[in-house]
Amino acid sequence: MLAAAIAVAAQPTTIPEMWTAWCARCHAEDGSGKVNEPTVTVEPMDFTDCKVTSPEPDADWERAIAKGGVGVGLSPQMPAFEDSLSGEQIAAFVSHIRSFCQDRRWPSGNTNFPRPILTEKAFPENEFLILPAVAHWDESPAPSITEASLVALYERRIGRRSMIEIEVPLVGTNSLATWTSGLGDVALAFKHAIYDRADTPRIVSLGLETVLPTGDRFEDLGSGTTIFEPYVAAGAMLRDWYLQSQFKVELPADRQRADRAIVYNAYVGRDTSGAPDTWTFGLELNGEVAFPYLGVTTHLVAMTPQVRKGLTGTGALAASAGVMLPLNKRDAQGVRWVGYLLWEYLEPWRARR
Amino acid sequence: MGRLLALGILGTLASASISLAQGSVTGTITTAAKGVAPIRVTIDQKVCGNELPDEAIVVDAQGRLANAVVVLTGVRRAAASDVTVSNDKCRFTPRVQIVAPKTSVKTTSKDPVLHTTNAQLENGRTLFNVALPIPGITITKAIAGTGNVRLSCNTHPWMRGWMVVTDEAAAISGADGRFTIDNVPPGTYELRVWHEALKGAPQKVTISAGKPTDVAITVK
Repeated sequence: MLAAAIAVAAQPTTIPEMWTAWCARCHAEDGSGKVNEPTVTVEPMDFTDCKVTSPEPDADWERAIAKGGVGVGLSPQMPAFEDSLSGEQIAAFVSHIRSFCQDRRWPSGNTNFPRPILTEKAFPENEFLILPAVAHWDESPAPSITEASLVALYERRIGRRSMIEIEVPLVGTNSLATWTSGLGDVALAFKHAIYDRADTPRIVSLGLETVLPTGDRFEDLGSGTTIFEPYVAAGAMLRDWYLQSQFKVELPADRQRADRAIVYNAYVGRDTSGAPDTWTFGLELNGEVAFPYLGVTTHLVAMTPQVRKGLTGTGALAASAGVMLPLNKRDAQGVRWVGYLLWEYLEPWRARR
Repeated sequence: MGRLLALGILGTLASASISLAQGSVTGTITTAAKGVAPIRVTIDQKVCGNELPDEAIVVDAQGRLANAVVVLTGVRRAAASDVTVSNDKCRFTPRVQIVAPKTSVKTTSKDPVLHTTNAQLENGRTLFNVALPIPGITITKAIAGTGNVRLSCNTHPWMRGWMVVTDEAAAISGADGRFTIDNVPPGTYELRVWHEALKGAPQKVTISAGKPTDVAITVK
């Protein structure tokens, strides 16, 4: 009886005490996952490494504690705590885990929202994407045109808040029954998160994209001039809704070859579940105002309903598909099928046992 | 017409006599294998002790083996559908139990240390892995799928438990190696044996009404 009383009295009551008593066995007192006598065969991730712990939202971490490793596609050796801890306790554990990364300058993973197809995401990413697109328009009396493109996009975080991007497009067009295809205009970009906030998630980034005249303009594969495209991208969460937007100015070096333009994109979307392989439904508004060197200003607006799905247990592979529907000048815009296949190449895409 | 009626009455009597006069099989399971050396505990000794018996092979001086499961092939029987496995002084108790398919299992802990009950099918698929951080806690989980379930603890790697999932008549051998399966209709059956570390061949048994059939099973 006395022994039982002592045993109960020795139970941890605060989150740091619980960490020491329960979690530290595998995750180590300092969160590094390095213990003298491991009792699991898969070494836990190093929570002191900000690069590892900062990019994912709190909800993912809470899910990992509640449902265990199997709930987030990671090692099943991590047990589920949802039957033994309250939601508040699990949230407090996530705060504790977040404290192992001491550097506050890393942008919060709470602002890492699902990527829209056309709107630039504000959060810097380590991702490789393939973006196919097929468009068809029929501006009579001109012959109808089909254009297909396949863009390879490589994004790499540098430092805590920045990212570089290389975009290589392959373009093919079909008009009057002749196909022309080849390399389009390669683009290089730099993005930097200037503001982020974790508790009411919001983020703002500035970027500059430079489109190089690598595509043959006589074959209609490129513009034939360098275009500088500074932009601002912002994201926020409102209840369960993701709000993302981008405002970009396109400044060609040679205005006779490419139009000056303003591009704006706005996205609203939400997940259907908390799992990394959730469906996410979204809707984008895509607008472009072009100011030709000669001629009249044109304003094109389209709406892009889309759906995204995580393809693996960890969500490290994902796919998105949507259709860009013109809201004005329907003949000139045509209908464009868009999408992406995304690979978060630093993430494990399946669990180790 | 009269003959048909008479046959019907005879048939009814025959089936009634079968349900009344059931047989049973008993036996002893033995092995030449030796018990396993105790486990030297290097973590949580205050709760677990410094040494624990390794229950992978529990055998007495006469070679009589405990925790082996015998199953009578083809004899349908509802096994326990509501079972409990306890984490007690860093051991799963009971070590081995027979459970019905699609059952629920209660897992509980008496120890003031974090245990996990990690239930996996023998093919490695995880059914569940629940944390038991607080003594006295009980968590109920469903056993889905078919096949035997292996229990392990991710904070105490020596801990093992087994759930033999079956809808056939089965029994577990006791410390004296003995087992009994009652209420079996007379007939000839195959008797299979399962043990977590040892193997034995199935054998034919003929069960008759009234008198128990005694078999000797050897595993290695």
